[in-house]
Amino acid sequence: MSLIPFRTKRASGMEPGSLATLADFRNEMNRLFEGFFSRPLEPMPAWLTPAIGGPWLPAIDVSETDTLVRVRCELPGVDPKDVDVSVSEDRLVISGEKKSAAETTTDGMTHREAHYGAFSRAIPLPEAVDPAKVEAKYDKGVLTVEMTKSPSGTSRKIPVLAT
Amino acid sequence: MTTETASPETAAAGRAARATFRPNIDITDFGTEVVIHADLPGARRDGIDVTFEDGVLSLVADVPPRDQPGTAIRREYGVGDYRRSFRLGEGFDASLITADYRDGVLTMKVPRLAAVLPRKISVTAG
Repeated sequence: MSLIPFRTKRASGMEPGSLATLADFRNEMNRLFEGFFSRPLEPMPAWLTPAIGGPWLPAIDVSETDTLVRVRCELPGVDPKDVDVSVSEDRLVISGEKKSAAETTTDGMTHREAHYGAFSRAIPLPEAVDPAKVEAKYDKGVLTVEMTKSPSGTSRKIPVLAT
Repeated sequence: MTTETASPETAAAGRAARATFRPNIDITDFGTEVVIHADLPGARRDGIDVTFEDGVLSLVADVPPRDQPGTAIRREYGVGDYRRSFRLGEGFDASLITADYRDGVLTMKVPRLAAVLPRKISVTAG
Protein backbone atom coordinates (compact mmCIF):
# COMPACT_ATOMS: atom_id res chain seq x y z
CA MET A 1 0.00 0.00 0.00
CA SER A 2 1.38 3.39 -0.88
CA LEU A 3 0.06 6.55 0.72
CA ILE A 4 1.01 9.30 -1.63
CA PRO A 5 -1.05 12.49 -1.34
CA PHE A 6 -2.86 12.66 -4.61
CA ARG A 7 -5.01 15.31 -6.18
CA THR A 8 -7.91 13.80 -8.03
CA LYS A 9 -9.83 15.41 -10.83
CA ARG A 10 -12.75 15.75 -8.49
CA ALA A 11 -10.86 17.16 -5.56
CA SER A 12 -9.27 19.72 -7.82
CA GLY A 13 -12.56 20.85 -9.29
CA MET A 14 -10.96 24.24 -8.88
CA GLU A 15 -7.77 25.17 -10.66
CA PRO A 16 -4.49 24.63 -8.84
CA GLY A 17 -3.44 27.85 -7.14
CA SER A 18 -6.97 29.17 -7.15
CA LEU A 19 -8.57 31.29 -4.46
CA ALA A 20 -9.42 28.36 -2.27
CA THR A 21 -5.76 27.48 -1.96
CA LEU A 22 -4.80 31.10 -1.49
CA ALA A 23 -7.46 31.53 1.16
CA ASP A 24 -6.06 28.55 2.99
CA PHE A 25 -2.61 30.04 2.91
CA ARG A 26 -3.75 33.46 4.03
CA ASN A 27 -5.78 31.91 6.79
CA GLU A 28 -2.78 30.02 8.07
CA MET A 29 -0.57 33.12 7.93
CA ASN A 30 -3.17 35.18 9.77
CA ARG A 31 -3.35 32.57 12.46
CA LEU A 32 0.40 32.56 12.73
CA PHE A 33 0.71 36.31 13.18
CA GLU A 34 -2.33 36.74 15.37
CA GLY A 35 -1.17 33.94 17.58
CA PHE A 36 2.36 35.24 17.85
CA PHE A 37 1.37 38.43 19.63
CA SER A 38 -1.68 37.34 21.55
CA ARG A 39 -0.49 34.21 23.26
CA PRO A 40 1.94 35.07 26.01
CA LEU A 41 0.63 32.37 28.33
CA GLU A 42 1.72 29.33 26.42
CA PRO A 43 5.11 28.23 25.28
CA MET A 44 3.86 27.20 21.85
CA PRO A 45 0.60 27.21 19.92
CA ALA A 46 -1.19 23.89 19.64
CA TRP A 47 -0.53 23.45 15.95
CA LEU A 48 3.23 23.86 16.39
CA THR A 49 3.63 21.08 18.88
CA PRO A 50 4.47 17.75 17.35
CA ALA A 51 1.51 15.46 16.79
CA ILE A 52 3.31 12.58 18.41
CA GLY A 53 4.98 12.85 21.75
CA GLY A 54 4.49 16.53 22.53
CA PRO A 55 1.76 17.79 24.82
CA TRP A 56 -1.58 18.25 23.22
CA LEU A 57 -3.05 21.72 23.57
CA PRO A 58 -6.43 21.59 21.86
CA ALA A 59 -7.30 24.66 19.80
CA ILE A 60 -9.77 27.06 21.37
CA ASP A 61 -12.02 29.87 20.32
CA VAL A 62 -13.10 32.54 22.81
CA SER A 63 -15.92 35.00 22.25
CA GLU A 64 -18.18 37.13 24.39
CA THR A 65 -21.54 38.86 24.29
CA ASP A 66 -22.94 41.40 26.72
CA THR A 67 -23.97 38.70 29.14
CA LEU A 68 -21.76 35.68 28.55
CA VAL A 69 -18.33 34.39 27.71
CA ARG A 70 -18.19 31.48 25.30
CA VAL A 71 -15.24 29.14 24.87
CA ARG A 72 -15.19 26.46 22.22
CA CYS A 73 -12.58 23.76 22.03
CA GLU A 74 -11.89 21.24 19.28
CA LEU A 75 -11.79 17.80 20.87
CA PRO A 76 -12.47 15.30 18.09
CA GLY A 77 -12.83 11.71 19.21
CA VAL A 78 -12.88 12.50 22.90
CA ASP A 79 -15.56 10.79 24.95
CA PRO A 80 -17.53 13.57 26.70
CA LYS A 81 -17.29 11.50 29.88
CA ASP A 82 -13.52 11.95 29.80
CA VAL A 83 -13.66 15.76 29.73
CA ASP A 84 -13.36 17.86 32.88
CA VAL A 85 -14.46 21.45 32.88
CA SER A 86 -13.80 23.65 35.89
CA VAL A 87 -14.51 27.33 36.23
CA SER A 88 -13.31 29.84 38.75
CA GLU A 89 -14.16 33.50 38.61
CA ASP A 90 -11.50 34.42 36.10
CA ARG A 91 -10.28 31.15 34.68
CA LEU A 92 -11.63 28.18 32.78
CA VAL A 93 -9.76 24.88 32.80
CA ILE A 94 -10.53 22.18 30.24
CA SER A 95 -8.74 18.90 30.74
CA GLY A 96 -9.19 15.24 30.02
CA GLU A 97 -7.89 12.36 28.03
CA LYS A 98 -8.43 11.01 24.55
CA LYS A 99 -8.22 7.29 24.32
CA SER A 100 -6.78 5.89 21.15
CA ALA A 101 -9.50 4.85 18.73
CA ALA A 102 -7.30 2.50 16.77
CA GLU A 103 -5.96 -0.60 18.43
CA THR A 104 -2.30 -0.07 19.03
CA THR A 105 -1.41 -3.74 19.04
CA THR A 106 -1.28 -4.19 15.30
CA ASP A 107 1.65 -5.46 13.33
CA GLY A 108 0.49 -3.48 10.35
CA MET A 109 1.75 -0.16 9.17
CA THR A 110 0.31 2.85 10.94
CA HIS A 111 0.30 6.45 9.85
CA ARG A 112 -0.66 8.84 12.62
CA GLU A 113 -1.49 12.53 12.67
CA ALA A 114 -4.19 12.87 15.30
CA HIS A 115 -3.55 13.70 18.95
CA TYR A 116 -4.01 11.20 21.74
CA GLY A 117 -3.53 11.15 25.46
CA ALA A 118 -3.99 13.73 28.16
CA PHE A 119 -4.72 17.37 27.44
CA SER A 120 -5.22 20.40 29.58
CA ARG A 121 -5.76 24.06 28.92
CA ALA A 122 -6.24 26.94 31.30
CA ILE A 123 -7.96 29.88 29.69
CA PRO A 124 -7.97 33.29 31.36
CA LEU A 125 -11.42 34.85 31.04
CA PRO A 126 -11.86 38.40 29.77
CA GLU A 127 -14.34 39.17 32.55
CA ALA A 128 -15.41 37.69 35.85
CA VAL A 129 -18.06 35.00 35.52
CA ASP A 130 -20.43 33.31 37.91
CA PRO A 131 -19.05 29.78 38.45
CA ALA A 132 -22.57 28.60 39.28
CA LYS A 133 -23.92 29.60 35.88
CA VAL A 134 -21.91 27.52 33.46
CA GLU A 135 -23.17 25.31 30.68
CA ALA A 136 -20.92 22.80 28.88
CA LYS A 137 -22.03 20.93 25.80
CA TYR A 138 -20.18 18.52 23.51
CA ASP A 139 -21.35 18.13 19.95
CA LYS A 140 -19.64 16.75 16.83
CA GLY A 141 -16.21 16.85 18.41
CA VAL A 142 -16.48 20.42 19.65
CA LEU A 143 -16.89 21.38 23.30
CA THR A 144 -18.80 24.61 23.96
CA VAL A 145 -18.70 26.20 27.41
CA GLU A 146 -20.96 29.15 28.06
CA MET A 147 -20.42 31.17 31.23
CA THR A 148 -22.64 33.94 32.48
CA LYS A 149 -20.80 37.10 33.42
CA SER A 150 -21.24 38.04 37.03
CA PRO A 151 -23.14 41.30 37.31
CA SER A 152 -20.70 42.76 39.79
CA GLY A 153 -17.82 42.11 37.46
CA THR A 154 -19.25 43.58 34.28
CA SER A 155 -18.58 47.18 35.18
CA ARG A 156 -16.94 48.87 38.07
CA LYS A 157 -17.20 52.56 38.59
CA ILE A 158 -13.91 54.09 39.59
CA PRO A 159 -14.32 57.39 41.33
CA VAL A 160 -12.02 60.18 40.26
CA LEU A 161 -10.71 62.06 43.19
CA ALA A 162 -10.15 65.74 43.01
CA THR A 163 -7.19 67.06 44.87
CA MET B 1 -23.08 6.40 4.02
CA THR B 2 -21.26 4.57 1.25
CA THR B 3 -19.03 5.41 -1.65
CA GLU B 4 -21.86 7.12 -3.49
CA THR B 5 -22.26 10.88 -3.56
CA ALA B 6 -25.40 12.59 -4.71
CA SER B 7 -23.90 15.37 -6.79
CA PRO B 8 -20.24 15.92 -6.00
CA GLU B 9 -19.73 18.43 -8.80
CA THR B 10 -22.39 20.88 -7.67
CA ALA B 11 -21.46 20.41 -4.03
CA ALA B 12 -17.82 21.10 -4.87
CA ALA B 13 -18.74 24.28 -6.74
CA GLY B 14 -20.52 25.62 -3.68
CA ARG B 15 -17.57 24.87 -1.46
CA ALA B 16 -14.88 26.23 -3.71
CA ALA B 17 -15.40 29.80 -2.51
CA ARG B 18 -14.75 29.02 1.17
CA ALA B 19 -11.59 28.15 3.03
CA THR B 20 -10.90 24.46 3.28
CA PHE B 21 -8.81 22.60 5.79
CA ARG B 22 -6.80 19.44 5.65
CA PRO B 23 -7.99 17.14 8.39
CA ASN B 24 -5.63 15.04 10.46
CA ILE B 25 -5.89 11.37 9.65
CA ASP B 26 -4.71 8.12 11.16
CA ILE B 27 -4.31 5.09 8.93
CA THR B 28 -3.88 1.58 10.23
CA ASP B 29 -3.41 -1.44 8.01
CA PHE B 30 -4.97 -4.53 9.52
CA GLY B 31 -4.18 -6.76 6.57
CA THR B 32 -7.72 -7.66 5.63
CA GLU B 33 -8.75 -4.03 5.76
CA VAL B 34 -7.34 -0.54 6.12
CA VAL B 35 -8.93 1.63 8.79
CA ILE B 36 -8.78 5.41 8.48
CA HIS B 37 -9.76 7.84 11.22
CA ALA B 38 -10.22 11.46 10.17
CA ASP B 39 -10.65 14.30 12.67
CA LEU B 40 -13.55 16.41 11.42
CA PRO B 41 -14.62 18.49 14.42
CA GLY B 42 -17.72 20.51 13.70
CA ALA B 43 -18.68 18.67 10.51
CA ARG B 44 -22.30 17.78 9.87
CA ARG B 45 -22.95 14.08 9.51
CA ASP B 46 -25.01 14.45 6.34
CA GLY B 47 -22.45 16.84 4.84
CA ILE B 48 -19.70 14.22 4.61
CA ASP B 49 -18.84 12.70 1.23
CA VAL B 50 -16.47 9.80 0.84
CA THR B 51 -15.57 8.55 -2.60
CA PHE B 52 -13.19 5.86 -3.76
CA GLU B 53 -12.19 6.00 -7.39
CA ASP B 54 -9.20 4.56 -9.22
CA GLY B 55 -7.50 3.67 -5.96
CA VAL B 56 -7.91 7.18 -4.52
CA LEU B 57 -9.99 7.78 -1.43
CA SER B 58 -11.42 11.30 -1.27
CA LEU B 59 -13.05 12.93 1.67
CA VAL B 60 -15.03 16.16 1.71
CA ALA B 61 -16.94 17.44 4.73
CA ASP B 62 -19.17 20.47 5.19
CA VAL B 63 -18.74 22.56 8.30
CA PRO B 64 -21.39 25.14 9.14
CA PRO B 65 -19.91 28.63 9.65
CA ARG B 66 -19.53 30.24 13.06
CA ASP B 67 -22.95 31.71 13.55
CA GLN B 68 -23.21 32.37 17.26
CA PRO B 69 -23.50 36.00 18.26
CA GLY B 70 -20.68 37.72 20.07
CA THR B 71 -17.32 39.34 19.67
CA ALA B 72 -14.32 37.15 18.98
CA ILE B 73 -11.54 37.46 21.53
CA ARG B 74 -9.31 34.62 20.46
CA ARG B 75 -9.43 32.31 17.47
CA GLU B 76 -7.02 29.43 17.26
CA TYR B 77 -8.80 27.38 14.69
CA GLY B 78 -10.41 28.21 11.42
CA VAL B 79 -13.87 27.09 10.49
CA GLY B 80 -14.32 25.78 6.99
CA ASP B 81 -14.83 22.61 5.05
CA TYR B 82 -12.48 19.68 5.24
CA ARG B 83 -10.98 18.19 2.15
CA ARG B 84 -8.41 15.50 1.67
CA SER B 85 -7.65 12.71 -0.73
CA PHE B 86 -4.94 10.12 -0.85
CA ARG B 87 -3.98 7.10 -2.87
CA LEU B 88 -4.63 3.76 -1.26
CA GLY B 89 -3.75 1.74 -4.33
CA GLU B 90 -5.45 -1.15 -6.00
CA GLY B 91 -6.87 -4.30 -4.51
CA PHE B 92 -9.63 -2.79 -2.40
CA ASP B 93 -13.30 -3.56 -2.53
CA ALA B 94 -14.97 -0.19 -3.08
CA SER B 95 -18.45 -1.63 -2.64
CA LEU B 96 -17.72 -2.68 0.94
CA ILE B 97 -16.27 0.58 2.27
CA THR B 98 -18.04 1.69 5.42
CA ALA B 99 -17.92 5.08 7.11
CA ASP B 100 -19.12 5.96 10.58
CA TYR B 101 -19.12 9.43 12.13
CA ARG B 102 -19.02 9.88 15.87
CA ASP B 103 -17.79 12.64 18.20
CA GLY B 104 -16.22 14.54 15.33
CA VAL B 105 -14.23 11.58 14.02
CA LEU B 106 -14.99 9.76 10.79
CA THR B 107 -13.95 6.11 10.77
CA MET B 108 -13.64 4.52 7.35
CA LYS B 109 -13.02 0.84 6.82
CA VAL B 110 -11.71 -0.15 3.43
CA PRO B 111 -11.60 -3.93 2.98
CA ARG B 112 -9.13 -5.60 0.68
CA LEU B 113 -10.41 -7.81 -2.11
CA ALA B 114 -10.40 -11.44 -1.12
CA ALA B 115 -8.42 -12.19 -4.29
CA VAL B 116 -5.40 -10.17 -3.16
CA LEU B 117 -5.20 -11.49 0.41
CA PRO B 118 -2.42 -13.96 1.06
CA ARG B 119 -3.74 -17.46 1.20
CA LYS B 120 -2.38 -20.24 3.32
CA ILE B 121 -2.09 -23.39 1.32
CA SER B 122 -2.22 -26.52 3.33
CA VAL B 123 0.07 -29.29 2.27
CA THR B 124 -1.60 -32.61 1.95
CA ALA B 125 0.19 -35.86 2.21
CA GLY B 126 0.03 -37.95 -0.98
